[in-house]
Amino acid sequence: MRKKIIGCIVVLSLGALVSSGCAKKDLVKSEEPVSTAQTVPTTPPEAAPPQPMQPMEESKSEPMAPAKSEPMVETRAGEANVKPENKGTQGAQLQGELQKIYFNFDSASLSEESRSLLAKNAQLLAGQPSAKVRIEGNCDERGSDEYNMALGERRAKAAKDYLVNLGVQPDRLSTISYGVEKPAVEGHDEAAWAKNRRDEFVIVK
Amino acid sequence: MRIILCAVLLIMAQLSWASDGYIDITAPIVRKTQLYLAPATALSGPALPEVGRELTELLSFDLGLPSIFSVSGPAAGPAGADLVLKSSYALNGNALVVECRLIDQALNRELTAKRYTGTPKELRRMGHAFADEVLRALTGLKGPFTGKIAYVTRISGNKEIFVMDSDGRNPQRVTNNGSINLNPDFAPSGKEIIYTSYKKGNPDLYRRELFTGLEARISSRQGLNAMGAFSPDGNRIAEVMSKDGDSEIYLISREGKELSRLTRDPGIDVSPAWSPDGSKLVFVSDRLGKPQLFVMDADGSHVRRLTTSGAYNVTPRWSPKGERIAYARQEEGGFQIHTIGVDGSQDSQLTSQGNNQHPRWSPDGRFIIFSSTRGGTEAIYLMRADGSAQTLISRGKTRDSHPTWSAAW
Repeated sequence: MRKKIIGCIVVLSLGALVSSGCAKKDLVKSEEPVSTAQTVPTTPPEAAPPQPMQPMEESKSEPMAPAKSEPMVETRAGEANVKPENKGTQGAQLQGELQKIYFNFDSASLSEESRSLLAKNAQLLAGQPSAKVRIEGNCDERGSDEYNMALGERRAKAAKDYLVNLGVQPDRLSTISYGVEKPAVEGHDEAAWAKNRRDEFVIVK
Repeated sequence: MRIILCAVLLIMAQLSWASDGYIDITAPIVRKTQLYLAPATALSGPALPEVGRELTELLSFDLGLPSIFSVSGPAAGPAGADLVLKSSYALNGNALVVECRLIDQALNRELTAKRYTGTPKELRRMGHAFADEVLRALTGLKGPFTGKIAYVTRISGNKEIFVMDSDGRNPQRVTNNGSINLNPDFAPSGKEIIYTSYKKGNPDLYRRELFTGLEARISSRQGLNAMGAFSPDGNRIAEVMSKDGDSEIYLISREGKELSRLTRDPGIDVSPAWSPDGSKLVFVSDRLGKPQLFVMDADGSHVRRLTTSGAYNVTPRWSPKGERIAYARQEEGGFQIHTIGVDGSQDSQLTSQGNNQHPRWSPDGRFIIFSSTRGGTEAIYLMRADGSAQTLISRGKTRDSHPTWSAAW
């Protein structure tokens, strides 16, 4: 045991010697200088100026945007929340008449009430054949936000499928899920949650 | 006393020479190593008590997080300590030098020593670097403290991505588009993130280089382009898309080219996470009714259910060592963080207070970060992989969630 311990000490010492050198002065190993490039995100790490990336292969993808002078800051130029585009008073009126529908927790099933509201919405849309509608699926705050992203999608698609069955042209209907990210009302009780588990119908054209 | 320490060192030495160099921090530890942090002193020039205090406090915080040490500060004195950490500094104009040494008091030998040079702003970075080095010197596995934490902050109804130090200091804004930005995930290099943003209307996936600010929208198919997860080699990204009718898991290239579709099920398939060797993915599916965890091979084959208890299990993340998976389970009162063995055994609940979600492992697997509402406002917390030492990390008054911890910057 004693020998083993000494052996261990010897090996450890050797390791220490190898990694830190012999002379007392050299014991401090000068680490790779903590350069500004590596540590301060406001400075590009590469010596060479950043080059724009190659265009992406997929047609839907886009090339990297040009480098910005303040790397960690993103400009707001050209970006804004997408607001419903109400075109004209007819559109605004239709927007006001389209009914939201509501869901049970962790469900995308259409209730009887939802079906009759969707039938009314289909009639309204039949009266304005040029109107296009974005169906926005939403969830309450309780579930997993990631899972609810897909659940919101499913809720929007359930309404779309039903409207298509009622004769609305599929190309007039688009869907988007906001998951838990756009509650209609704040609040942490069943009254609030029930209002947030919904599809909204937004005129986009 | 000396014998015990030698035995401890012998174990440490063996571990540090083992190929994976890992101390299982969930293993019972008979006696914690006593680590004494000596007051920081001036190498040259005037004493700067503020610099010294900041450095010592940082080291005390970092090294107190793993279960290896019992850390005592300058007030305690070095008597009885197994290890002494000495630090010193010098400030010459705009050049800061910090020297740190870890000394085995019983053997009177230096275990490691480093000198860091930089600007005064980099003091904390230097401290974290030596905390990482102390863990490397003693266990063979570097600490995670020089990594950054990306997370989502709610700002006036919108959500923006931020990055902060591993101890919650130095928050920096990454996105500023006034829209909804979600699910940041670091590339293995730690220098890029992918995230989903509604800034152009549809939830699209973006890849962004943090240092250059270069950004590309890499996935913008109709419907969801969300929950992107870099493969361990950084060459592929698993993501959720709904372009083919319902939410399914796909692999795309870094540039956004579709490589393969992994799931084909009418149920919801979301939240993919890679095994550390890149051979498998764990994900969430409600194909059997309620959301549960499933594991599949990286080509979509051999799907098997992982969780069999709990009605609602979500947001899995594979540990870097590969043996466990962290996830959140919804119960009466909210979500709690669990870990489970990759064979579905040994499920263990780690949190119990408040609503706890979005678990992510530190790159060394020692810790799990997560978001919790236990303090009132949702904030980022850290705990050991066994659930002990639950510690608030984010310090702002904002609502913070979805943390993810990068490799060393």
